Amino acid sequence: MSSRELVVLMKDIVKVYPDGTVALRGVNLELKRGEIHGLLGENGAGKTTLMKILSGLIKPTRGEIYVKGKKVSLKNPAHALSLGIGMVHQHLSLVPVFTAYENIVLGLKNMKPGKTEIEKLMDSTGLKVPLDEVTENLSLGVRQRIEILKMLLRNVDVLILDEPTTNLSPIETRELFKSLRSLKEQGKTIVLITHKIREILEITDRVTVLRKGRVVGSVETNNTNSRELARMMVGREVILEIDKPPVRVGEVALEIEDLHVMSDVGGEAVKGVSFDVRYGEIFGIAGVEGNGQVELAEAIAGIRRVLKGRILLGGKDVTQLSTRERYSMGLSYIPEDRRIALAMDMSVAENSVLTRIIYDKTLVNKMGFLSFNEILRQAMKLVKEFDIVISTFSSPVRTLSGGNQQKLVVGRELSREPSVILAVQPTRGLDVGATEYIRRLLVKMRNKGKAVLLISSDLDEVMGLSDRMAVMYNGRFTGIVDPRKVTEEEVGLMMGGYSIEEIRHEVN
Amino acid sequence: MSASVKLEYVSYIGNVLLALITGLAIGAIIISWGGYDPISAYRGLFETSLNIADPYYLAMTLSYATPLMLTAATFAISARAGVFNIGAEGQVFMGALGAVVVASLKLPDQLYLPMALLLGILMGALWGLIAGLFKVLRNVNEVVVTIMLNWIAYWIVEYARIYVYYDRYRPEKTISMPRSGVLPVLVPGSELSASFIIALIVTIIIYLVLWRTRLGYSIRVVGIGLKTAKYAGINPGLTMLYVFIIGGMISGLAGALEICGRPPTYAITTGASNIAGLGFAGISVSLLGLNHPIFIIPASIIIGALNAGSRGMQIRAGVPLEMVKAVQGLIVIALAVPGFTYMLRKWRIRKALRGETGD
Ligand SMILES: Nc1ncnc2c1ncn2[C@@H]1O[C@H](COP(=O)(O)OP(=O)(O)OP(=O)(O)O)[C@@H](O)[C@H]1O
Ligand SMILES: [Mg+2]
Repeated sequence: MSSRELVVLMKDIVKVYPDGTVALRGVNLELKRGEIHGLLGENGAGKTTLMKILSGLIKPTRGEIYVKGKKVSLKNPAHALSLGIGMVHQHLSLVPVFTAYENIVLGLKNMKPGKTEIEKLMDSTGLKVPLDEVTENLSLGVRQRIEILKMLLRNVDVLILDEPTTNLSPIETRELFKSLRSLKEQGKTIVLITHKIREILEITDRVTVLRKGRVVGSVETNNTNSRELARMMVGREVILEIDKPPVRVGEVALEIEDLHVMSDVGGEAVKGVSFDVRYGEIFGIAGVEGNGQVELAEAIAGIRRVLKGRILLGGKDVTQLSTRERYSMGLSYIPEDRRIALAMDMSVAENSVLTRIIYDKTLVNKMGFLSFNEILRQAMKLVKEFDIVISTFSSPVRTLSGGNQQKLVVGRELSREPSVILAVQPTRGLDVGATEYIRRLLVKMRNKGKAVLLISSDLDEVMGLSDRMAVMYNGRFTGIVDPRKVTEEEVGLMMGGYSIEEIRHEVN
Repeated sequence: MSASVKLEYVSYIGNVLLALITGLAIGAIIISWGGYDPISAYRGLFETSLNIADPYYLAMTLSYATPLMLTAATFAISARAGVFNIGAEGQVFMGALGAVVVASLKLPDQLYLPMALLLGILMGALWGLIAGLFKVLRNVNEVVVTIMLNWIAYWIVEYARIYVYYDRYRPEKTISMPRSGVLPVLVPGSELSASFIIALIVTIIIYLVLWRTRLGYSIRVVGIGLKTAKYAGINPGLTMLYVFIIGGMISGLAGALEICGRPPTYAITTGASNIAGLGFAGISVSLLGLNHPIFIIPASIIIGALNAGSRGMQIRAGVPLEMVKAVQGLIVIALAVPGFTYMLRKWRIRKALRGETGD
């Protein structure tokens, strides 16, 4: 492997953002032809920054870049593309009303490739896309393929993927990896940013670990293991298994009766779901994303209309109550997307009370004005208790790294003294350290007697944390099971629409 | 305020200066193309507006700034909620009409002023409320509704001026506010009255509402994103309705203050010419002031100076009124351009934020 030709060499890269944040402190990176190179590191370690530099999106403060042996100074993404370097960003940037084909050829000036040519490329890479479908109707996985095809048609040799699997189902991830392997066979170099060590071990040839803007090490994937990688990343031992004391359940805290919920596109997203969550337990809902989980959560929070059925909080029917009333009754809600949970242009301090502002009287002083002291006190408490890295309390939350934004949301929701916690994808996009931390917090909440409803498409997460779990498929539960008494295969089948009875029956 | 935010403002002020110079330069070309001397025209403009040596001209500048500050605040508070409310024009009309109605009544002396301001505010609020209801309940685009309401207000005022509240001795204008109902003039001989101070206080109150109250907090969250607002338990429709009502109140007050606080007529004049255009000019002021109540204060004074100086340009350099108006309009637009692009960029960034953030 080491004899392979070097395609990219980044030397002593330093990046200081205009606000003074030092994102990279002298990073070296080598990329070889035909390798899949993993980039691993905690939230805010500088992975995205490093790759934005390589793709010409931002300029390094210091440092040198060599592409195929020649020193270059990348002016913009188009320049990087002309040198064969292309990046697919975590949040895709396609025109929603264009067809897949239009998006693929968008911006190609001369020589628009015909559909047959693109179809040939799709065959050779396995990146299948319905070319005439309007993009907004396509799943995230397919949109990502469009972005990759776009890059390939521009003849990139180095393809950078920033957290491509974060929003993919396990099946989509498997397909993506198959395509990446075939691209590698064709001699392409792929940089894969991910937080999932399992994926790094599965597909990469080499992995570079960043920590706080420095390279901790570059290793051959074959010569390492998950424990070592986690340690390199976080700088300490990470316990990936979380142990829980036996469950001591109390009364029913949240009860859902035959709930039907509307979807955005018309029709029902949730088609009759019943379950209850008790104080002192974590109830998990697993399932491939897009099977009604988000709509279910929104209905419980009072954000989405219920068509039929009842929601009871602490024994009281809240189906007709507003979000505000539910929050003041002790419901906390961590939504699946932190861009919903935060007002990005508002300050860290203001965001630390976003879900309390509408009901918490202590935030308002006698004059009727917001009490800055109280808000700041709250913000300081969160920052300290949850170890959130910020520059100042008045800086907009959008300047925080993804992980720190998520910690702010989770911290805020868990410190509201809730009795029922509704957590949807609480660790999405987080590094192992932060993931471990937040999972521990959820377990701690459970041990303190709170009711936790955990909705996640991360099977490890749901099976590892839940005391009881359901699997959701197409708006319904395919079963409620004890996570210690099912296998991953069984849950996988349930996620595909088989009920637990069907599965067990088949086996016997 | 972080360093990068401050830097942003510095570069913004640079852009405004650049826009001002461009506007003045193009204006100069137009003036000399018409056969007049641009240098003496601009001297006339500045010597009769921002002339520190002569309090009369300064007072005139501030008097023109007064209604603009308020109509700008209407636009600003709406923009903060993500609403493009251009209804200030009609609300000013309704506010002025409210004051004229009070002027026509037989009342104890000390009641004229408070009643005039109150009715002006209420009628402005009503006009804002109607627009808000269309937007919130029927999801009609606020630009369309407010433009229609502006025209309706205009014709109501014209009808009232001609047929109902006309002055029996000078039928080209409405009944004037009785002496006991007018605000004191601050600089004798000028048009600057205590309405300037009222406008200043109201603008600062709007600032406090936006940044120091629960309602203002909600308004800003709604402006950032409806999904986030709903998540936070905020009712976006109700919040927008408040914004329309408050905006209407401010502009209604602006209209009433024109009746109670602008000598010598204290009335609505022919074609409502003395209150027309204040709402639209307020949009430029708000854009120039980055939709921020505090920045609106200097912005309104800048635009007010252009208005005040137009007479000087006309008298001192002999530039005809039409050309003065054209040049003035040009400079106002030029000044609003940086703020407008800034707002668009912010709104675009916001949209992009829904697709990209955090890393
Ligand atoms: N535009 C910016 N301005 C200022 N600081 C920034 C900016 N973008 C990123 N940063 C900071 O630079 C550091 C590195 O950020 P980067 O996005 O590269 O991290 P990352 O490794 O991709 O993290 P994550 O896993 O959360 O995506 C962080 O501290 C972040 O807050
Ligand atoms: Mg990143």
